[in-house]
Amino acid sequence: MFLARIEGTVVSSTKHPTLDGCRFLIAQRLEADGTAGLEPIVIIDWLGAGNGSTVLVSTDGDIARARLGNTTPARMVVVGIVDDLQTRKSAMRGNA
Amino acid sequence: MRLGIVRGHVVLNPAVTAFRGKTLVVLEPVTMENLRAGNGLGGGKSLIAIDALGAARGQIVAFTEGREAANPYWPNAVPVDAYCSLIVDSINIQP
Repeated sequence: MFLARIEGTVVSSTKHPTLDGCRFLIAQRLEADGTAGLEPIVIIDWLGAGNGSTVLVSTDGDIARARLGNTTPARMVVVGIVDDLQTRKSAMRGNA
Repeated sequence: MRLGIVRGHVVLNPAVTAFRGKTLVVLEPVTMENLRAGNGLGGGKSLIAIDALGAARGQIVAFTEGREAANPYWPNAVPVDAYCSLIVDSINIQP
């Protein structure tokens, strides 16, 4: 699992049938020092995460399979919206 | 899923039985910088994915990687590790 910041939404009319009705968000994975990953990711959201919010993403497809069926290619799912994040940047880098 | 631009198609002959009749596309993953710029450039390391949606060259798709990429063929065992899950119509990114 990792943290990601929501950057926008994706609209798609042609997709795997199990993904019909899903909400797709564009996000950037966050590193421990707060910097963002190079490539954006597309994640499924059932919790209503908004632009700019930080979310916890799971890359395990179990929750998607449970909701969308065994044949779904869905994998990255928002499993929580971060309410409060308590870190010291130096501690996150392992040199507190 | 990551985003990739379809750059071409791959035809295999011969191929493992599980791949017969399946379409393979060459994808170039898109970086956030290029996505924001909307410049049609990718920037990531190319990979090959199964495409059952009929994505055309130049279109952006979101592709699943890992074990979940083979889920659409469940319960059959197919050696797929990248699968085009959706074709992007539009992307709305916050400024």
